[in-house]
Amino acid sequence: MSNNIMDIQDLHAKIGEKEILKGLNLSLEAGKVHVIMGPNGAGKSTLSKAIVGHYDIEVTKGNIRYKDKDIVSMEPEERALEGIFMSFQNPVEVPGVNNAYFLRTAVNAKRKFQGLEELNAAEFLRAAKKLVVELGMKPEMLNRSLNQGFSGGEKKRNETLQMMMLEPDFIILDEIDSGLDIDALRAVSEGINRMKDGKRTFLIITHYSRILDYIAPDYVHVLKDGKIIKTAGSELVAELEETGYGALEES
Amino acid sequence: MKPLTFEKRRLEEALSSITNEDLLALQCLKRVGLPNKKNEEYRYFDIVSLLQRPWTRFIANKETITQSEHLVITDGVITAMPRFAGVTIAYAQDIVPDANHFDPLYYMGHLLNPEIISIRCDKNVALHIEHRFTKKERLLSYRTALFVQENVDVTVTETFFALEAEGSFVLSGSDIFLARNASLELVKSQTLHENGYVSLFSHCYNLEEDASLTLRTFDFGDGSGLQLFQANLQKDANINAEHLLFAKGEHTQRGTVSKIMHVGASTGSTQKAKTILQDHARGIFDALIKIEPTGKQTVAHQNSQAILLNDGAYMVSKPQLEIYIDDVEASHGSTIGELDEAQLFYLQSRGIAHQEAKKMLIMAFANEMIDAVVDTTMREEIHVAFERAYYGATILECIDTCENCAHTVLNE
Repeated sequence: MSNNIMDIQDLHAKIGEKEILKGLNLSLEAGKVHVIMGPNGAGKSTLSKAIVGHYDIEVTKGNIRYKDKDIVSMEPEERALEGIFMSFQNPVEVPGVNNAYFLRTAVNAKRKFQGLEELNAAEFLRAAKKLVVELGMKPEMLNRSLNQGFSGGEKKRNETLQMMMLEPDFIILDEIDSGLDIDALRAVSEGINRMKDGKRTFLIITHYSRILDYIAPDYVHVLKDGKIIKTAGSELVAELEETGYGALEES
Repeated sequence: MKPLTFEKRRLEEALSSITNEDLLALQCLKRVGLPNKKNEEYRYFDIVSLLQRPWTRFIANKETITQSEHLVITDGVITAMPRFAGVTIAYAQDIVPDANHFDPLYYMGHLLNPEIISIRCDKNVALHIEHRFTKKERLLSYRTALFVQENVDVTVTETFFALEAEGSFVLSGSDIFLARNASLELVKSQTLHENGYVSLFSHCYNLEEDASLTLRTFDFGDGSGLQLFQANLQKDANINAEHLLFAKGEHTQRGTVSKIMHVGASTGSTQKAKTILQDHARGIFDALIKIEPTGKQTVAHQNSQAILLNDGAYMVSKPQLEIYIDDVEASHGSTIGELDEAQLFYLQSRGIAHQEAKKMLIMAFANEMIDAVVDTTMREEIHVAFERAYYGATILECIDTCENCAHTVLNE
């Protein structure tokens, strides 16, 4: 029996009229840390958006099987409730939506889906406060509008807070290391490492190997021109650092 | 009580004991003419059918006034008021109407009300005014006047309650006089219901040198009503006006018609309107900023944003600038649209259902203006009023919007 949490087969996807993913195949073993690396324009962000059901992406062919269900036609919120979480590269600012109220609504939607009792505002705030402190965030950030006026580092920490509160099964980290200083990178990485429990699966999308100094990958997949062209263990990172993507050809 | 019509002959009969103030109002009414559908200010609000109804006016007896923390005006008379230093509240007959107001009903309000409720503030105070309406199918007309003395800072909050005032027509308004270097923060919240009263409030705000007015209006519900105001700004005076409207219903017409007149030099105005429309409601934002030849170095900005929640909702957005001098900075803009797709997706990607995410974004659109209200009690009341109008009930707990409650938990 397969131990894969996700199997992507012959995935074709386009943005507008431009085809970006051109028959992508990828299997992701459950409980492991997977890294997708690749040159600019290879389709890394398109892949992550296709998995979460972003409105920009039109899947024209193929399927994405997650926990043995094809999720291509599912709404974004259904995918989220099933345990898929994406940490955005540039989280959108939502003025007027209180950060705590938003996160409590999301947490309670998940709890309701799981048949658990919803948290009241005070219960939620106490739970969130503990994680906020651990992530090195200021508690008052919970009272601000969602992502509004947050620095790059604050946005990434807020994404990590959401991830820790929602406890997803499948986590996509899209360029989570971009724009982070060393301290923020360490705090975010520690948050992610704490969530590694051998059951949860991570898909890290990155240009650079910097974050991989803090989070050890099990598999590295190279995406080029809309297809996965190579899969190997963590040793591939050093190889790519040395030779670049140009030396790799589709196997 | 005798039937009141707006025919000129009847009006003249009714004005047999005319005062100087009445004469001025009558001359001005003659200048602007009786309201009809050709009036620009009533082009989008059905004033004619409202005025053609054979209204019977209700004039309340002046009761014994009880002491209260707030000023309570019931059917146009004072029924309770505070007695603290710095505020004098009384009936007055010498309030002179503005001679250049654009609205006929401003003058009608003055002609119908030789006695006006006058509020004079000569110290820094915060005053809450509660307007109550209790009579069915009547014309309820009264006016107030507020005077803020030199160098005095005042906050006034106003709320409106109806108890069995179905089918009534409230014709009211306020004349506000801010003396040199006075400042006023004026916050009004009014929810109207389809079978309740129709409200028509016509105001005039006079700002002397260096005076400043912050005006925040919150209009919710499925009943019809219009607020009209003219603001006259003398040298260095400043007005910041924000209007939040949420209207729903099949026949609702609701909105703001205004003229901000930059008379003196170095004056400033910022006017922002946010409108959310549902069902077949019609929202109106018809606002003119006029910079007179004397208004050099004026800064004036005006913006209207509207969200239509469904086909059939209709927004009239007319931000206008009329400028008679070169040396100014002015802008205006208007957008009518739907919710931001990226924001909607972000909320959905966290497991929040599409409909719920839409509601959160509508609340967010509104909250930007509600959260700017400084008075905590009033801010919470407006949050609840909006929630009730939009959801039909309030879903927020105090802790969701109250910084003090959240801080208490976070600082445990």
